Amino acid sequence: MLEYILAKYNFWIYVVLMMIGLYAMMGKRNLVKKLIGMNIFQTSIILFFVSIGVKKGGATVPIIMGHGHGHGQHLIKVADYLNPLPHVLMLTAIVVSIATTGVALATLILIYKRYHTLEEDEILAIRKDPSSYKTLG
Amino acid sequence: MKNWFKLISWVAVIMTGALLIYGIHDMPAWGDPDSPANAHVSPRYILEATEKTATPNIVSAVLADYRGYDTLGETTVIFTAAISCLFLLRRRGGKK
Repeated sequence: MLEYILAKYNFWIYVVLMMIGLYAMMGKRNLVKKLIGMNIFQTSIILFFVSIGVKKGGATVPIIMGHGHGHGQHLIKVADYLNPLPHVLMLTAIVVSIATTGVALATLILIYKRYHTLEEDEILAIRKDPSSYKTLG
Repeated sequence: MKNWFKLISWVAVIMTGALLIYGIHDMPAWGDPDSPANAHVSPRYILEATEKTATPNIVSAVLADYRGYDTLGETTVIFTAAISCLFLLRRRGGKK
């Protein structure tokens, strides 16, 4: 059983990270904790894609030096370079995650200014019964 | 009410985790050079990108050349996020 887990241990780590993020998004009542959960979730997906591009056996980063236009070409061996496509896709994913985090933080600032709390149940109580709204000094 | 809510989210999280762990069976081993992701499309990029785009860095070549329109859309995403942050955090006129 242990060997079975260790054979593909990277995927188990991403599953655990994704479950942590999903639980933080669903089970937590604080909006900042929900946002942190969303970031953990995105990080697990990014790590998953990057690990897909790994090649064992001495492969390096996909930068090919010394291959000018046409002349002096050595043979490029595919096994010597990591898979570049997951890296490209995850660059896009990181950008999208930064954008969503920024907009979410700005929205949280507005929510805090309006309700003076970031707890979801307190916000819902205030929305149901505006007289329970307690002003901060 | 609160415990009921937590219970529901635990059940959903554990079901999702079980599905994902079930999916691990079919995944290739760590670092396998012959895995489907490494064997089908990416060899073409590694072999031809330098010659076709004259860029040593394949990641840059794919990001800015092969997938240029995707990167254009990506900058649109950042631009939209920046504009919405600007409008969300802008100081309301008049009041301090």
